[in-house]
Amino acid sequence: MARSHVTVTSMLKPARSAYLVLALLAIMLVAPMIGLSLVSVSESFELESSSFWRSTYLRQVLAFSFWQAFLSTLLSVGLALLVARAIARRGDFLFRSLLLKLFALPLVVPAVVAVLGVVSVYGNSGWIPLGRNLYGLNGILLAHLFFNLPLAVRLLLPVWFSIPHPYWRLSEQLDMNSWQQWRLLEWPALRESLPGVALLVFMLCLTSFAVVLTLGGGPKSTTLEVAIYQSLRFDFDPVRAVILALVQFALCATVALVSLRFQKLPEVEIGSLLQGLLTTKKGKAINTAIILMAALFVVTPMLSMLIDAVRGPILRVMSNPNLWQAAWHSLVIGLSAATLSVSMAFLLLRSSSDLFYLNRKKGAMFIELAGSIVYVVPPLVTGTGLFILLSPHVDVFDWAIPIVVLINALMGMPFAIRSLSPTMRQNKMRYQRLCETLDLDGWHRFKIIDWPLLRKPFGLAMALIAALAIGDLGVIALFGTPQTTTLPLLLYQQLGAYLISQAAVSAAFLLFLCLLVFWLLERFVGGQDHA
Amino acid sequence: MFTMLRFFIFCFCLFLSVHLHAEKQVLTIYTYDSFTSDWGPGPQVKKAFEKSCDCELVFVGLEDGVSLLSRLKLEGSNTRADIVLGLDTNLTAEARATGLFSPHGIEATMLSLPTSWQDADFLPYDFGYFAFVYNRELLAEPPTSLKQLIEDPESPQILIQDPRTSTPGLGLMLWVKKVYGDNAPAAWEKLSNRIVTVSKGWSEAYGLFLKDEAQMVLSYTTSPAYHIIAEDDQRFAAAKFSEGHYQQIEVAGLIASSKQEKLARKFLHFMMSDAFQSIIPTTNWMYPTGLDSSQLPAAFNQLIDPAPALLFDDSLIAANRKRWINEWLEAMSQ
Repeated sequence: MARSHVTVTSMLKPARSAYLVLALLAIMLVAPMIGLSLVSVSESFELESSSFWRSTYLRQVLAFSFWQAFLSTLLSVGLALLVARAIARRGDFLFRSLLLKLFALPLVVPAVVAVLGVVSVYGNSGWIPLGRNLYGLNGILLAHLFFNLPLAVRLLLPVWFSIPHPYWRLSEQLDMNSWQQWRLLEWPALRESLPGVALLVFMLCLTSFAVVLTLGGGPKSTTLEVAIYQSLRFDFDPVRAVILALVQFALCATVALVSLRFQKLPEVEIGSLLQGLLTTKKGKAINTAIILMAALFVVTPMLSMLIDAVRGPILRVMSNPNLWQAAWHSLVIGLSAATLSVSMAFLLLRSSSDLFYLNRKKGAMFIELAGSIVYVVPPLVTGTGLFILLSPHVDVFDWAIPIVVLINALMGMPFAIRSLSPTMRQNKMRYQRLCETLDLDGWHRFKIIDWPLLRKPFGLAMALIAALAIGDLGVIALFGTPQTTTLPLLLYQQLGAYLISQAAVSAAFLLFLCLLVFWLLERFVGGQDHA
Repeated sequence: MFTMLRFFIFCFCLFLSVHLHAEKQVLTIYTYDSFTSDWGPGPQVKKAFEKSCDCELVFVGLEDGVSLLSRLKLEGSNTRADIVLGLDTNLTAEARATGLFSPHGIEATMLSLPTSWQDADFLPYDFGYFAFVYNRELLAEPPTSLKQLIEDPESPQILIQDPRTSTPGLGLMLWVKKVYGDNAPAAWEKLSNRIVTVSKGWSEAYGLFLKDEAQMVLSYTTSPAYHIIAEDDQRFAAAKFSEGHYQQIEVAGLIASSKQEKLARKFLHFMMSDAFQSIIPTTNWMYPTGLDSSQLPAAFNQLIDPAPALLFDDSLIAANRKRWINEWLEAMSQ
């Protein structure tokens, strides 16, 4: 800590709280890696792994992981371009803001709930039956599309608003047709952010677990994530699990490295409206149709699931004590993970905003980036490592809930950091001198200076992380037992037993719980709009 | 935020306290989920056994029989199970090798098994034969041999179970191995297009079959007895295959590290008694090992004769199971 380089005249000594969190992060990520590599140096490992490396099975799993992620990305981003363009060109219209809110919904819908929605629309007795073709690639693509089409639309839409108005006016004066506008105006603007969006969607699909687990139809449609789970829970084959986990880690790290080069994601804020372009009547009708179809695609699974739930055996499902126990576990996981996550983010950011204030931007960046490391190491890989590391010493199933809380807290860190960071920096820049003058520090400073402004981002981050953790079916699948079932796991079991009508009721309950917790936290932690 | 922190600590303590909570003597039995379901033997067995002891019988239902073994390997001597019920003879050698089981010490003489019983660690409670079950009204001419089912492209679509989790799934894999030997992978490749889905356990596959998702399902020669007795429904039958049917003998074993050893031994004796054995035919729909065939319900006489019974030596399976499963996985993922 060479303080002589500090140019700002300040008494500020950067807070050390980040080291604590960084150490915890390192333990959480490095220890499992050590666990994995310990297994991989054992003798039997070399023997077995050499044959597994060359096996057709690994090749098939790899090929399928890539293929489904590639197709999901192509479809999601391709269709998102169409939909975003239609929304942008349609100008202002009735229900526009409602539509954009609707497109934000999949962010908090648990994957298992979405899967159930997909099954209830496209399943054998659904509105658009795909029959037995649903289980397998088709089902996986539909569920991925449900999540990623709205996400890609929301990410891409701002690009249209970044094109300056005079350009549009000029293009109209020049009598350009729609294709020429696309080629000369829209495409050049999109080209910069498209790779970033596509890579993000690709990464999400590559590491998607719950969707593939529930909709994959046997060995033919298994991805790396699911194969890791199966080799631990089905075969109890740690060697195979380790190889798969290491391959998955290498893949994700590669994709993350590549995406660093295309980091430019558009701002999520959706700017001012385009004045309705002078489109032809036909063009307008087509745009309306596209928007309607996209909205229907997102709404129908949720709607159909809710209708199934209302018609389902509500009393029987709701009177099952297992459901309430699972709900309690989920609630504990959600609230604990959210609290832990924002606390860790707060401790990290205390240090990084100090560094930022002292103009040591690199250090600040490093700390914040390290907090988001979970992007590179998929939770299931960490889970597998912890599992293998701990299982010889303790009954890992006893630790299911604390481990799930920790991993979900890690998964929430990027959100928490992103939502707290701007306010924490701002507070530091604005009030540091004042606080030094008034000798305000510690708890008082937090209460008087930080909290009133931080409440809102705190509430939002906690709401989002809690909702995600409540609906998460990932690591719990590795560690869960009948005593430590969570709602998503219960739902997965009902889905696995093809008890669709019971599952619909549980799914509606889970969705309700997620939204309720989201709303409560955002409202009561976040407070009213007085900041 | 600090109230939240307090809440978090509270939750954590509460969670820990749940684990420290002590109760009266509890016997924990790991089994497959169809055993514990409402219509399975579980509820009746629990009631009958609890009458004879001041204890609580807790069933932990896993997907299916093979999951039991994987779960035991995972948990090792930390396992909470006192008894594992629902492994079969295809798994006994591997289960014995874990060193987790303790000899049952019961003289098994009154068994109605077609073969004599020698195993000192595992006790058989029922047995049966794998078969493909179909609905006579929907499928007039079922295949008459395993070879026909696999090789005739016009053969019906089927539902099977995953050999990595389910004992019927494992049984079918061994059945195909018995009939095809080294050509088994090619046989699976031929069959794979007609497999509607590979479920984790027997219950799921049978549930889907009853919803007409496929024409045949891998189950047991005794399954039609359920429809005849419980539903008075004569439509269901098992297809007799000319190569013979693979046999399954379901066993239970005592966990050596059990803290309830006395109670567990009591349960094993109970398992071989008429009280337990008479529950089996009309709940687990298998042949009980301890009852004479004259004591079986009449509907069992209508069932097909599975002879010749096929069975691999358990040590041969233990030595090859992993390799054969890999073969199966590769053939099925083509």
